[in-house]
Order: sequence, then structure tokens, then C-alpha cells
Amino acid sequence: MITLSDLSAKGGSPVTWPMGLFLLGLATAPFWLAPIGLYQYLGIEIAIWILFAMGFNLLFGYMGLHSFGHGAYLGVGAYAFGLFQLHVGTSLWGGLLAAVLAATVAGAVVGLFLSHRRGIYFALLTIGFGQVFWFSAIKLHSVTGGEDGLLGIPRPPLELGFASVDLNDNAAFYWFVAALVALVVPLLWRLVNAPFGRVLQAIRQNELRARFIGYEVWRFKWATFTISAATAGLAGGLFAMAQESAYPDVMSLHQSGLIVMMVLVGGGLVSFWGPVLGVILYFIARDVLGGLTETWLLWYGLMFVVMVMVRPEGLAGLFHVLRPGKGRA
Amino acid sequence: MLNLVPHLVNGLTLGLLFALIALGFTLIVGVMEVINLAHGSLFALGAYFALSTIGGDWFAGTGFGVWWQGLPLWTRYVLALAIGPILAGAAGMVLEFCLRPAYGKAPLYGLLLTFGAALVIEELIRLGWGTGEQHLEVPQAINGAFFMGGLIFSKYKFFAAGFAILAILAVWLLLERTPYGAVIKAGAHDSEMVRALGYDLATLRLLVFGLGAALAGLAGVVMVPIWGLRPHVGIDVVIPAFLIIAIGGVGSFWGAVLASLLVGLAVGVTGAYAPAWATMSMYILLILILGLRARGLLGRKSALES
Repeated sequence: MITLSDLSAKGGSPVTWPMGLFLLGLATAPFWLAPIGLYQYLGIEIAIWILFAMGFNLLFGYMGLHSFGHGAYLGVGAYAFGLFQLHVGTSLWGGLLAAVLAATVAGAVVGLFLSHRRGIYFALLTIGFGQVFWFSAIKLHSVTGGEDGLLGIPRPPLELGFASVDLNDNAAFYWFVAALVALVVPLLWRLVNAPFGRVLQAIRQNELRARFIGYEVWRFKWATFTISAATAGLAGGLFAMAQESAYPDVMSLHQSGLIVMMVLVGGGLVSFWGPVLGVILYFIARDVLGGLTETWLLWYGLMFVVMVMVRPEGLAGLFHVLRPGKGRA
Repeated sequence: MLNLVPHLVNGLTLGLLFALIALGFTLIVGVMEVINLAHGSLFALGAYFALSTIGGDWFAGTGFGVWWQGLPLWTRYVLALAIGPILAGAAGMVLEFCLRPAYGKAPLYGLLLTFGAALVIEELIRLGWGTGEQHLEVPQAINGAFFMGGLIFSKYKFFAAGFAILAILAVWLLLERTPYGAVIKAGAHDSEMVRALGYDLATLRLLVFGLGAALAGLAGVVMVPIWGLRPHVGIDVVIPAFLIIAIGGVGSFWGAVLASLLVGLAVGVTGAYAPAWATMSMYILLILILGLRARGLLGRKSALES
């Protein structure tokens, strides 16, 4: 099968046709979402989860570390944002900064435990830590509000100095989220196409060899885990704004598993853009299949099983098959 | 000290039940090097099949159904104890067919496939048996409570723990004292040599997976009267099974049993002082032990690490 490292290395500028297409889609979404039968809020959800999924794929696709507890950092970000608004003060940037910082710290601490582990023990430990966060969120009632979570989190206005934008309007909030996504995604693109990204792939292919060449593998694992947790934290802060609440459910094993499914179905193993496709497909499936049948997860799950059996490269893998000669080892 | 005794006893019985859950899981991990995330769903499936066996739902309204529901509860319970695991084992065999493309690839594929399968099985359960909480009846003889040394204990928990001990011994005898066990273990160690010696590896894997799934189903039938039966019970079950395999060391039989008892005791004793945090103690134990010993208590090197 094709893997990420079979794709040609791209240095230099992140101005490529998929990036252009992605930004174009992001910028024009509000104009065509409603005409094709979808709605504005779905655009917000998809944009937030794209952020989460792309940060996650740094770890999952590029480094080959299979975290099954990544929802925890989204949750930590969401709670941090909510607690900041409720206890410190109503501030957009303050809340988002708190979300990113909290998730970064959580990721950095957990990363210390994880960075010397490999394969299945890594996966099991991420599940363990994910459950610790989830369980704490449920049990620390006085801080997190227990199973109900934090309710009534405000969406603070965006202060631009000369003007103040009310983000309670979903259209305005979409633009804000889209702007952040348009900022972070090229940064991630730059990161994975820099020497750093090549080292990540080298570690995935052969950790021992990477170590012999002289890379301190655990530092790369730790850094990647922390960066990916920080991205999840930002997504979490935005998620708390979108939902106007933060609740333990996003940290559950189920949710953490769903993000793995999205990234894999989209083709995160073979393409930087895989997670985008996967997230879009998941949310469309949820809304379209979910409108038709109560048991849409059954069909989504079956599709996933068949996909892993027949075409583990995911949707993005199909594109590479359709363009033979490019990206084949 | 004395008031800790019931908690220790509870912890030990819980540990034995955890061992029963982990048994099929460790068998599949050890022999096939597949982390079966659908283990909990097979557990639930076994319990639901047992529920239908006891209730006679499938034949309700027919003459056979009426005759069936007229049978004494213990007869139906004993039959459910056999039929539930057998059907769960059959479901496991279907799953093994789906897993075949994943052999020889990265362990991730087995993990993902079984995760998808878990989702599918859970949704099928919702379709077939509804979403509400259900109750599995047990015969009068093993129901209720008894007193010992002035303390009250549940009869069923002791029955379940005894059953777990029997199952552990049976699996150990199969693996260590029969020629089949030798082939199974050899298959885990060096599958190429086993094939060269003329054993049919595909059938071996099918049977081992079926056995592992049947053990999951058996654990389901035995556990569910204690834990309650709901469609997502699988996820509550697969997590302890995971932790136990990680703590005990992947592929180690006695490691898994030892880890189960440790986890059970940790939960039982924490339950004595801070009931709300009882479940949390498992995760703390996992992080502590894996922090100190990378491969768990008795783990050996495994293909799953790469």
C-alpha cells in the first residue's frame, strides 16, 4: 500500500493546489452550505473537527503513534475555556489561550510517560490516560459540573480595536473559526514538510534506525504529542464556544475512537489532506444517514470495516490510485 | 482492619471475574497478536443470547415457546450458559473471517477492524434487543445473600467467582496439558514452523478466535446479573480487559490472572475509602506499573510492539 513517505517531499511554499482548494472551500462555505441542504452550524462543527483531526494526524499518520485517547485534550481545552469564562473573566483570547495552554500542559505531562513507549503499549497507555481525564471530568463535580458539564459558557465578542464582532451569530462565528483554521493548517503543513516532519516519518518507518542516525527519538515523540494536544486544545476551546458548554462525553473512548475512524477513512495514513476528507464524510454521513435511519452508526461502522479490509489507504488513497505514477513507491 | 475484610473479599471476587473477562482476550492476543476491541461487544452478545434463551423470546407464541417457558428456571439458565457462549463464539468466527486481510500487516489494522466491528455489534444489539437496561434472571439457589462471620455476602458473586476459577483452570489445562494447547502456543511462537509441520493455521486461528469469543460470551452470561445488561456494556468491559492485559504483560497467561487480582483488589480497597474513585484506581495502577515496567508484570517481547 501507499504510505505518506512514498509521497514526494515538498519544501518551500505551502501554496499548492490542495491548499488552495481547501482555503477556497473554507472561505466560500457559508454561501453554498444552505443551498445544498446543509446549515451554517455544521460548517462550524466540521471546521473545528478538521483542526482537531489534522493535529491528531501529526501523531497518527506521520509518526505512526496510535493514540486512542485524544478526545481528552479536546475536552481539557473545552473545560479550560469554560472555566476561564466562568471564573476569570469574559475574554475571547484569554479563554482560547487558557484552552491551548491547559491542553499543552496536559499533553506535555502525559507525553513524558508515553514517549518511551511503542506500539500496543503506547496505544493502551493513551487509553488509560484518556480514561483518567474522562473519569476526573465526571467525578470532580465541584469544578467540572459532573456528567452535565459546564453549561452556559458565553461566546465572548471578538475585539478588533476598531470594532467589536458579536460571535453569538453563527455566521460571524464561522468566519472566526475558519480564520483560525486557515492560520493553523498552513502552519501544520509547513511543519510536516520541514525536516521535522521527515524525522517523524523516519521514526515511523524504523525507530531503531532513526535512533542510530542520531535522533533522540523520545524528544520527537514528546514534541509531536504536545503539539497535537495543543491543537486539540484550541479545537476544544472553539468547541466549547460552539456548544456553549463543555461536557465529559467528548473525552470518552467512543469519541476518541471516532476521531481515529475519521482520520483513517479519509486517508490520513497517505495524505496530509486525508483528515479533512474524513471529517467531512463523517459529518455528512451523520446528518444524511442519521436523517434516514436511527442506526446510522451501524452503516458507518460497516463502511469503516469494509474500508479497513479492502482499502486501508482511505479516501485520499483513491486519489493516488487515480493518478498513477505519482506517489507510488 | 476487620472492617476491611469484606472489601478484600469483594476485591478478590471482582478480580476473579476480571480474570474471566480477560481470559479470552489474552488467548486471542497471545496466539494471533490481534487486540480484539470487539471483545466487550462479544461479551454483551453472549449475555443477550443468554437473555433470549432464558426468556424464550424467539419462539414466543408457538407451542415450543410455551413448553420452553414452562421449563424450570435452572434448566433454562444452564442451557443459556452453554448457548450464549456458543453463539458468541460463532459471531467471533465471522469476525475472524473479516480479520484475515489484516494478518501480516501492522497491528493497527486488527485494532481498527475490531473497533469497527464493536460499533457494528453494539448497533445490532440496539436493533435486536432495544436500548434499555435489561435484567438476566438467575435461579433461586444462587440468588440472594448469606451471612458469614457476621458479614453479609452475595451468593451469586461467590458462584460467579467459583465459575471463574473453573474457567481459568480449564483454559490452563487446555493450553498446558493437551496436544491442542501445544499447537496453539506453537502457533503463537512460530507460525511458519507450525504450518511447515502440516497443521492448518487458518483453521487453528479460526478455532482460537472462536474459543476466545466464546469465553467472552461466557464471561458475559456470568457477569451480567451483577453488572446489568445494556447495549454499551461492552465498552465498560473491554477497558478493564485492556488494562489487565497491559498490566500483566501481553501474551502472559498468569500475568493476566495476577493483574486481574491486583486490579480487583485495587478497586475493592479504594471502594472502601472513596467509592466514587474506585474505577479510577485501575488507571492509576496501569500508569504506575507501565511507568516502571514497560512490558507489564510478566510480559515478553511481542510483535505488537513494533
